[in-house]
Amino acid sequence: MMIVAIVVFTVVYVLIASERVNRVAAALTGAGVILAVGVIGPDDAFFSQETGIDWNVIFLLFGMMVIVGVLRQTGIFEYVAIWAAKRARGRPFQVMALLCLITALASAALDNVTTVLLIAPVTLLVCEKIGVRPVPFLIAEALASNIGGTATLVGDPPNLIVASKSGLGFNDFLVNLAPIVIVMLVAFVALSRFLFRKDFTADPAQVAEVMKLDEREAIQDRPLLVRSLLVLGLVLAGFTLHSVLHLEPSVVALLGAGLLVALSGLPPQTYLVDIEWETLLFFAGLFMLVGSLVKTGVIGHVATALVTVTGDSVPVAMMVLLWGSAVLSAVVDNIPFVATMTPVVDQLVSGNGAFAGQNGLWWALLLGADLGGNATAIGASANVVVAGIAKKSGHPISFWEFTRYGSVVALVTLAIATPYLLLRY
Amino acid sequence: MRAGEVCEPYPVVTTGTPALEAARLMARDRLPGLIVTSPDGTPRAVLPASEVVRFIVPDYVQADPTLAGVIGEIAADRIAERLANVTVGDLLPKRPAELPVLKADDTLLELAAVMARLRSPLCAVVDGGRIVGVVTASRLLELACGDPRS
Repeated sequence: MMIVAIVVFTVVYVLIASERVNRVAAALTGAGVILAVGVIGPDDAFFSQETGIDWNVIFLLFGMMVIVGVLRQTGIFEYVAIWAAKRARGRPFQVMALLCLITALASAALDNVTTVLLIAPVTLLVCEKIGVRPVPFLIAEALASNIGGTATLVGDPPNLIVASKSGLGFNDFLVNLAPIVIVMLVAFVALSRFLFRKDFTADPAQVAEVMKLDEREAIQDRPLLVRSLLVLGLVLAGFTLHSVLHLEPSVVALLGAGLLVALSGLPPQTYLVDIEWETLLFFAGLFMLVGSLVKTGVIGHVATALVTVTGDSVPVAMMVLLWGSAVLSAVVDNIPFVATMTPVVDQLVSGNGAFAGQNGLWWALLLGADLGGNATAIGASANVVVAGIAKKSGHPISFWEFTRYGSVVALVTLAIATPYLLLRY
Repeated sequence: MRAGEVCEPYPVVTTGTPALEAARLMARDRLPGLIVTSPDGTPRAVLPASEVVRFIVPDYVQADPTLAGVIGEIAADRIAERLANVTVGDLLPKRPAELPVLKADDTLLELAAVMARLRSPLCAVVDGGRIVGVVTASRLLELACGDPRS
């Protein structure tokens, strides 16, 4: 059974990486095969915490998608982005810096893809008004969203997966990842001044056009905006008060989604459009595939091998996880990678594992996987989405143009993460 | 009634016609669209007025309609500037669509069926490969339902 599990998992992984087959089709077919062959049974797949679908992750994602679906109807993202561009008085670098910081902040509270989907059209508008090429701005925003998303439990899908398995809470992410992410963002903004220096020449006559934009017109429904921000605030408070309320993040997100839907009075089709069913199904298939590796003992062997390679050294193990995750996440989707590595790290840091209690391994895995995604145009979903928007608007971003900037940013942020991990953990 | 009997003369543009000129032609005569031909007169496509309207809406507003409101009145009034320096060929879909073309001896129902299936506001009537006229949706309805003034 172990051989079957490895073969099916490898085939699915190669299919996902090659992008020859839709990733949902690959993951669900693989899951179907391991269920049909009997590597895992229905109980393992649907009801087991160790080997089954992680419903906490699925419902946390679902709840946040509903909240975002309502929130985007309010026009708050457009309002803030135009306000920022006017605040920067249309000066290109200042506009880029502010838009990147807004993107990073929004990505920390919501998901990266939605954030860039909302910020990119405003960016195209602002760039047209100030007469600069939008490509550097779009690339910078994708990079900022991946950095910002690293900071919190809900910021990036890999963080959700690790949070559910490790038991680390929203505040653990804030305390351990947010501080270094802030440092990275400061470094990223400074680096952008150098990386995109040739693209900051604007026509002074056109800059005045930005000041004529009226951000207040973006707010479509003020009462809905107030209710949405109130519920989002309650949800974030619910996440941070986990130790007091004892509510799992998935429950908090579902409660928030239900409350917001009830308060908004919007028809279901308005916010259900934003539910990424494909992503949810992909997660479900993936969890079953990884579950088969856990049940057949493959994960245990990988964990043992990792201990052997690192020679029981926590710093070496963290560096292997950080840089190994970064390299792999640059070329393949970081979600299946982190889904696979999470049970491995769980075995290492759990009660009788070789690195018991060493949570630095979790942070190394996440920093590597989240930041490594910036290295190439296909390394993270936000990068792919931005490239699609740019192409549609007549400003295509080539793979190498993105990678030229992304790889530098990934290297710099990982270089910042390295001493942080070694010194703190 | 046959298509050849009810079709009317209609302005035709080529793929090389400036887009602004085509748009002005539609505006002046309140046309629902234009027939686009190759330089040799062969029908190539139908350019609905709605497609021209879609073209002048910036991509970022199509992606996020909220942004339409934030652009000031003066800038909004200049949206047709996007039609400058482009031709009718640039407004057509990259992938050629099926043409709403009928033969002169086709019936009103065949005409209506083609318009409905292709969601086209007009239909070219050809005879021997050459356009002999056009039937618009409003002309078709007039013929099918009768003129209320008569």
